Amino acid sequence: MEQARNYVCTECASAVPSGHKFCGACGAGVPTEAQTLETRFFGALQMPGKARLIVVRGDEAMGEGLSYLLQATEHVAGREADQIPFPSDNWLNPTHANFLYRGEKLVVRDEGSLNGVYIRVRGASPIQIGDHFMCGQQLFRIDATPKDTSGPEADQTHFYSSPRRPSAFRVTQVLEGGMDGIVCCATEQTLQIGREDCDINFPDDVYMSPRHARVEMSGESLELADENSQNGTYVRIRGERELSHGDYLFLGRNLLRVEVTA
Amino acid sequence: MIVCSRCSKENQDHYKFCLGCGAELPRDSSKPRSFSGPTPPGSSTSKGRTTDAPQARAGRAEALASAPQLEVDPTPVEAARSKPVAVEDPLPAELAPLGDETSPCPHCGAQVPRNFRFCHVCGDDLQADPSPEASADAPAERVSAPAVAEAPQRATARARLVLIQPDGSEGEAFSLSGGRTLIGRGTGGIFANDAYLSPEHAEFRFEGDQLVVKDMESLNGVYVRIEPDVPIELFDGSIFRVGQEILRFEAPVAPDPADDGTQYMGSPHRGYLGRIALVIGRETTGDSYPIPPHGIHLGRERGDVVFPEDGYVSGLHCRVHSEVGHVFVTDVGSSNGTFVRVSIESYVPQGTFVLMGQQLFRAEY
Repeated sequence: MEQARNYVCTECASAVPSGHKFCGACGAGVPTEAQTLETRFFGALQMPGKARLIVVRGDEAMGEGLSYLLQATEHVAGREADQIPFPSDNWLNPTHANFLYRGEKLVVRDEGSLNGVYIRVRGASPIQIGDHFMCGQQLFRIDATPKDTSGPEADQTHFYSSPRRPSAFRVTQVLEGGMDGIVCCATEQTLQIGREDCDINFPDDVYMSPRHARVEMSGESLELADENSQNGTYVRIRGERELSHGDYLFLGRNLLRVEVTA
Repeated sequence: MIVCSRCSKENQDHYKFCLGCGAELPRDSSKPRSFSGPTPPGSSTSKGRTTDAPQARAGRAEALASAPQLEVDPTPVEAARSKPVAVEDPLPAELAPLGDETSPCPHCGAQVPRNFRFCHVCGDDLQADPSPEASADAPAERVSAPAVAEAPQRATARARLVLIQPDGSEGEAFSLSGGRTLIGRGTGGIFANDAYLSPEHAEFRFEGDQLVVKDMESLNGVYVRIEPDVPIELFDGSIFRVGQEILRFEAPVAPDPADDGTQYMGSPHRGYLGRIALVIGRETTGDSYPIPPHGIHLGRERGDVVFPEDGYVSGLHCRVHSEVGHVFVTDVGSSNGTFVRVSIESYVPQGTFVLMGQQLFRAEY
């Protein structure tokens, strides 16, 4: 005993090869489900698209675990965006960033946003004066340490300052609302950030690893290195940035994972 | 009665820590005083200057001061000081050099130098007893003040600035007359070789029996040592000195939000009161720390902000904290003291240390 290998006409019990719309023996119609040669996906998320974004930590209104397929050529994300909306995050501009394809490559472009797009640093990343980066809940900016090069006053009085120590760069904590917080001038080639025993410490930031990241100067160039922190170190992109599978992005309060499938 | 700001428990006046929650209680918080704060805009009653006294016999000074609006809580207790109480009546200057004369604290019995307003052991206000006639005296003082200030110069020396040498010993002394005395690099003598003094740096004069110093818009300013455990108010731009470190208090400022309603992203803002920044140049600051609502301590070894490389900073030196919505610096018993830069002019009580240029002086009169 065995089962018929094809669809069987419900009128005349003849076998109908798949793809036929009518029974060849009696002319009866074949239901649409039996006509198709394609196997459908259970859901759109299974679609072998080029890439998608998964909201790891996200907008209260939209919820976590949401997934956005990037099937079109451009996908705008923002507080009032149609494609990737984060309506309750006021750290996002109405139009904040755009996910688009350049050839086969997925890139993210900062659409001139106030607060930018941050990408998780893999290992270490070159960084420049003026760049912003994030560790735990904290946001930082790299500045050059200002130098007072002016000499004595016209009347030959010298300015009395605190003891100066040579410093090439410094890290400034940026508080929500835009005010500067902690400023730490590097006195050596390395400046360490973490929860304790570092140059800048955040004992009450539960998302910060004990030793989280460091900024290092070699020659004239600066490098931001993540020290295998649990939650990663994120650097603000300039303009646009190519994405690859497993990248993490911060848009405002939203943490997104990039999955590139093709 | 002191009501704890953290748990609202009522504590007796002399308690340092709350019985309910252990939080440090504000010491004498009803009378924190500003230290030569800037004149608030629009105070047309001011004679164009602000005079506040940091120390003991400030009461009379405040009755004279033309900026009572700077008082956080002006109490009649202060004005009462113009009627001196017997116990604090100072001996003639020649008989009472700093610290040699002490009297027992009525609260804890410790021997307290007579020029201290508060007991350095228990923090008790040694002059807390108001005398009833005092408030009647104050207005009279105020009226007579200009006359006193404009009094013709007396040729005889009325006060001395005694140079304190790096090893702590006394050096030369500079005499101040009863009139106006201008000092600076240009006036020579013990000031001649200090490149950090402006040619015309400061002016001393007497108002009544109070010595007053006025900063003549000098580059580096005049710093007056504050009393331990007495909060001195800080304003945006106030500068104070701890060891060799010059620190500036900056009130919180934030940029305007963007037009489209986007807020500035950043680290959690824990209700910071402002921040203190290390002055490393004319217009330049270095390391900075925001001040959370519970305040910060500064020291060489202990505290939220430490200066391990500055041997002139005490282990725990001072704190910057908030009382009744204002920000204060309080010395917590440091060896070398906390000095606040005089914004325009300030009273200099007998025995007070004054920093000008690279040199430290003690005012004696």
